[in-house]
Amino acid sequence: MEGLSEILIYSSFLLLIIALVLAFFRLAKGPSVHDRIASLDLIASIVMGFILLYSVLIKNALYIDIVLVMSLISFVGTVAISTYLKQKP
Amino acid sequence: MNILLVSILLFFGSVFILIASIGLVRFKDLYSRMHATTKATSFGILLLLLGISIYFNSWNVAIKVVLIINLIYFTAPLAAHSIAKSYEDKKDKE
Repeated sequence: MEGLSEILIYSSFLLLIIALVLAFFRLAKGPSVHDRIASLDLIASIVMGFILLYSVLIKNALYIDIVLVMSLISFVGTVAISTYLKQKP
Repeated sequence: MNILLVSILLFFGSVFILIASIGLVRFKDLYSRMHATTKATSFGILLLLLGISIYFNSWNVAIKVVLIINLIYFTAPLAAHSIAKSYEDKKDKE
């Protein structure tokens, strides 16, 4: 890992950090609860991207299992919160 | 050469996730926000996983990558549909 490829990987970390800040802005501001749920879904995807980039950086393939579990938990959490909001009187 | 291809894939995946986040902040309505986040995020994660699969170059990783891609492409529309359905019900009640 040298030269241009290292610059590209570190700058993709930078892009993901900017994306995380923007998603947190919408999470703090969002007018309704549903905007916040969509923002939390996006935040889970950004964290998955972080873990994938980090596994390239330290050359360890063990971290892909975390992404597998995290995608399942993110889906279940989103469906649970929105179903609760739908059935609330 | 191989590592250059991997880093270009990772960079474009991150660019797509950033575009999804900008769409989440800039759009006016909940439906347009979900239109931005659901599609662009799925494609960004797909590019990242493709880069990972080329980088590690083993069956053990490739099977997990195919599993995660299938999982994300099946569950992201379901989650967005669930959010939109609950928003619709709440608007009807008011």
